[in-house]
Amino acid sequence: MIKPLNKGVKHMLKIAHTICPSCSVGCGVNLIIKNQEAVGTYPYKRHPVNQGKNCEKGRNSFQILNENRLQNPLIRKNGLEQARWDETLDTIVSQIKKYSPQEIGIVASGNCTNQEYETLKKFAESLGVKNIGYNAGTFPYFNFQSATLDDVESSRTILIVGDVLKENPLLGRRVILARENGAEIISIDISANTLTGINSDEHILIESTSQLTEQVGKILPKLDESSTVLIKELESREEFENILQILQESSARILPVLKDCNSRGAMNYLPALDEDDLKELLEKVKLLYVVGDDPASHLAESMKNLEFIITQGPSVTETVLLSDVVLPGTCWAEKSGTFTSTTGKTQKISKILDAPGDAKDDVTIMVELAEKMGLELIK
Amino acid sequence: MKTQFLLAKANDNELATRGECGGAVSALFKYLLDQELVDGVLTLTRGDDVYDGVPTFLEDSEDIVETCGSLHCAPTMFGDLISKQLSDLRLAVSVKPCDAMAIRELEKRHQIDSKAIYKIGLNCGGTVMPITARKMIEMFYDVDPQDVVAEEIDKGKFIIELKDGTHKAVEIDELEEKGFGRRGNCQRCELKIPRNADLACGNWGAEPGWTFIEVVTEKGRELVENAHKNGYIEVKTPSEKAITIREKIEGIMIKLARKFQDKYLEEDYPLPENWDEYWNRCIKCFACRDVCPLCYCKECDLEKEFYSSENEIIPDPITFQGVRLSHMSFSCVNCGQCEDVCPMEIPLARIYHRMQKKYRDETGFIAGVSEELPPLYSPEKG
Repeated sequence: MIKPLNKGVKHMLKIAHTICPSCSVGCGVNLIIKNQEAVGTYPYKRHPVNQGKNCEKGRNSFQILNENRLQNPLIRKNGLEQARWDETLDTIVSQIKKYSPQEIGIVASGNCTNQEYETLKKFAESLGVKNIGYNAGTFPYFNFQSATLDDVESSRTILIVGDVLKENPLLGRRVILARENGAEIISIDISANTLTGINSDEHILIESTSQLTEQVGKILPKLDESSTVLIKELESREEFENILQILQESSARILPVLKDCNSRGAMNYLPALDEDDLKELLEKVKLLYVVGDDPASHLAESMKNLEFIITQGPSVTETVLLSDVVLPGTCWAEKSGTFTSTTGKTQKISKILDAPGDAKDDVTIMVELAEKMGLELIK
Repeated sequence: MKTQFLLAKANDNELATRGECGGAVSALFKYLLDQELVDGVLTLTRGDDVYDGVPTFLEDSEDIVETCGSLHCAPTMFGDLISKQLSDLRLAVSVKPCDAMAIRELEKRHQIDSKAIYKIGLNCGGTVMPITARKMIEMFYDVDPQDVVAEEIDKGKFIIELKDGTHKAVEIDELEEKGFGRRGNCQRCELKIPRNADLACGNWGAEPGWTFIEVVTEKGRELVENAHKNGYIEVKTPSEKAITIREKIEGIMIKLARKFQDKYLEEDYPLPENWDEYWNRCIKCFACRDVCPLCYCKECDLEKEFYSSENEIIPDPITFQGVRLSHMSFSCVNCGQCEDVCPMEIPLARIYHRMQKKYRDETGFIAGVSEELPPLYSPEKG
């Protein structure tokens, strides 16, 4: 079982801090790196968001680094074939030059770093591309001061729309702690049986989210400055906006629970696209540049008439398979930058691992592409 | 073998000054690496600040100096890190009593090869959760936690050192009365001197600048003798008085731990209705199982289909926590990791520790300390 001593052979076990990429709460997690491979996670108890506690998704987040990774640039010839970087970028440049800015679309996900959004935004501006945005689900842009996790924990009343305890357990934990301190928890859901409901003092069942505004209105008198309202993703942008409007009549703090690890950061740089916006964009343009997102997984029909698709990302997705050119990017633990959590807290991530194969840092890819285009990214 | 006490310190000047109590532990690690008696050393290093203890694996003795000093806000666990990631290597490990307990149980279960590992035990009065430490430093010391450059636990006080060199101390009793201080598990822990390791090292009874070492195993004795012979450590015999002081400190701490056991496991033990409330929070994320250093089965009963029902929102406590409890509670070493990592703040360690204690009272089996496996052990049940 035990190998003889072998001087000179390094085994390299490293525990490294990072931020969990699984949802928008912004938990800290330690990666266990063995011989340059992520093999597990280890509690990061020093992290103020979650104190070493992670949900199952968070503890398994290391697997993303090892699964279905893109290792080389690909160009569609007879199917997608491996290519060199310079050849790949040249192909993209010659294609982009064929189209007017109005015919080009750029779509990012909520999982990129703030630095990537910033660079992508500059890239689009230099190119004159207006059809740009990130996949925001039904959350629109907002810029009000949202509640912090400590606000949630110190609340006297918490109103929860959606199953926060199940889907964002480390935010749910703050609700549990508030309840242990005597807070009243009220939840609203279209489902009668939810984990959040079971752990609430009152669970209000609604038939459809269209009844939300009315129900929130009824609870309004209970809400004051020591209250927090947590709102998970709703059916439509309007529903969220309607609730916000009602809540303006109270002094309760609000925390929209966004989907991706940097959805909150994305909205500071790029337009927030809901499903309809995204569909419209995909159907309007001829050349599409996708960064980190996978529109083909839910909008393949709207992508049928695209003439050229460029996809940049860390792993194989349905969109990658539809693409004409594929740029292998990095996973979160392979780059440095920042993520902004749903509470608006911006946290640093550092490069822990090298990207596999020929994959490159995403900002570098964008900058090199801009250089090849002869664009000067506006400072 | 006959127990042996000695005082030791590093001969290397840098290790002696930067290391805790004369740097004897660091010098032992350096000796083991230099002589190629181990492939690597697993120990803690300071991460971003004094509240951030990061398990670190070192293969070069030049790096040992970076691991100098002790951290009390680092409730880490090495047991499963060794069994899962480093089991094919020859190791030296610095172990708190709970690490040593977990390692002993894993050795008995053939998950760690006792022949391949040097366990350098560190006396431990308990650890503080990093965020708890930061909060209590703000509240009780009126200090910005970022201004703390070092901390130590001495004579019943948690002492902090600030940037300007000044010290502030607060009685641990006072902190714990208000719900701060050491982790609940540490408060209840009776093993303060890890006699389940090869050596038990610490400052109790030691003169300033020296480490008090209790030699526990033959392997430990050889290590100390050879490190001495090769010029890595200086040793001397402690006075009778030093031995008595150490015993007295240990005795007081064990007595206190038993008081906390009575408090947490009997007087203030959650009522059945409290447990109902706790189990209602369970998200079945398996964090408790996965962090448990002793759970090692590749195929876990808890994931068998017959134990879960369709559309369940919370797992049935009987077939989830109940099954895990029936497999693991006899062997529970009260490391508290399950409770530390539970996203839903379920006080799991309380029920496990209580069960182990009852089992121990009936059978005499002390998890993590007894040489043999628990009575009624089967590989099916950890």
